[in-house]
Amino acid sequence: MIFYITTIILLLLLAPILLSFIKSLKMLLLFKRPAPLLQGYKNFAKLMQKETIVSQETSSITTYAPFLVLSPLLVTMFFLPPIVHGAFYVSFVDAFTITGLISLSTFFLMLLGLDSASAFGGIGSSREAFISALVEPAMVLTVFSVSMMAGDLGIGQAGVNLAEHFPKEHMASFLFAGISFFILLVAENGRIPVDNPETHLELTMVHEAMILDLSGVYLAIIETAASVKFVIFASLFVSLFIPVGLEYSAPIAILIFIAKLFGVAIAVAILEVNTAKLRLFKVPNLLGISIVFAFLSLITFYVLGA
Amino acid sequence: MVDFFIGLFLASLITALFTTRLYRLLVWYSFNSLTLGVLALLIGIKIDDNAMLITGIATIVIKAIAIPYFLKSFSQKFHFIRQIQPNIKIQYAIILIPAILVFTFYLAKPITHMIANNSNYVAISISSLFLSLLLMMEHKNVAPKITGFLSMENSLFLLGITATNGMPMLVELGIFFDLLMAIVVINLLFRREEMKNA
Repeated sequence: MIFYITTIILLLLLAPILLSFIKSLKMLLLFKRPAPLLQGYKNFAKLMQKETIVSQETSSITTYAPFLVLSPLLVTMFFLPPIVHGAFYVSFVDAFTITGLISLSTFFLMLLGLDSASAFGGIGSSREAFISALVEPAMVLTVFSVSMMAGDLGIGQAGVNLAEHFPKEHMASFLFAGISFFILLVAENGRIPVDNPETHLELTMVHEAMILDLSGVYLAIIETAASVKFVIFASLFVSLFIPVGLEYSAPIAILIFIAKLFGVAIAVAILEVNTAKLRLFKVPNLLGISIVFAFLSLITFYVLGA
Repeated sequence: MVDFFIGLFLASLITALFTTRLYRLLVWYSFNSLTLGVLALLIGIKIDDNAMLITGIATIVIKAIAIPYFLKSFSQKFHFIRQIQPNIKIQYAIILIPAILVFTFYLAKPITHMIANNSNYVAISISSLFLSLLLMMEHKNVAPKITGFLSMENSLFLLGITATNGMPMLVELGIFFDLLMAIVVINLLFRREEMKNA
């Protein structure tokens, strides 16, 4: 139980650091002076002190939607696979629950964008709906396929099974599922081939367009939600697709887990520096590749057993 | 471990199908050949066949490094169009590729019992044969068609190393010489293409 609580607190604390780490690594790779690692915390503290202004046109949705964006993600954090051997975990949560919780959070984010009735919010919400409608089937397929390989539909149990006896004979379908999930990680968190998190140009932005009207505490909550979402995806990725290090004693296992999270962050940063942002109407192609790989992983598993 | 590389082989071929840039396509082809060479090395170590080790090294040197390099330098020399749009729309390709895979996986099922070990790999190599055929079909330009031809050769080679317990080395060297001849022919084709462009 103590490890369960520790894991959740650790992930919450790591969430802003990971995003700032990606940002500073990108700046380093572009020969700029990198931002400090604790920039996420600084921004959070700054936003908490600022005055919260809500547009006159908004309904009551704007006042409670930020909390409803964050809370499904916080609930999801309780369902993640364990990172220490013998830690407590929730075993009955399957692919549909995780995907559903994440899309519930996305739903309220879209409502928030529509609520202020500004043009940008509408653009952002429609684009987000477009992307997340394509992400969800691929995500259900991928997580389902991995949990079939692990021999248990529950995600927590699947993570434990994968770490204990890794399915070497299903390596091919495992790899396909891994590729698919990495594309989803990039797409769902609005990283560069799909959405540029740094720009405020109306042609390109998706996530930023929805939250353009927010300020103060609400903005701080939404930014926390974005970082928590990234940490959820990264931790699902490392515990389902890089299932090593669970057998060591607790401090070493936690250190290995953190190292793996930073490894994912490095991969995302290198991908962001090396690719151009896709046109919005080319995003379905990328997500189509992800769906192909997810489906491929399932059929390779069922038909060939490889 | 062999499963992992066979997965990478198929994955790089599928990614090549969605590529719209020539140099990126060559990179994927090179990666595809690299996984093939590593596979040959792994299987060669497993069945203790020195000839297969030599072919593995030759595959890495020739197909993963030399051929993509030459193709790239040819296309630079003859100023090729580097944007290669597939004729088949990606929406249809998304449906088509899994359909091909399911079809070939079931197609290969009756013959898999004839092969004692690695029976899955036959299905994957036949499906990659079909996928490289698709790569040849979906492009109009010469360069991606040639890449499709080369990756078709790759999947035949995969069939050779996985279905049999080591092909005779003479056959594989013959295939390599064939490939070199093919590259010479490709050079001629490129010249024709250049004359058409001019």
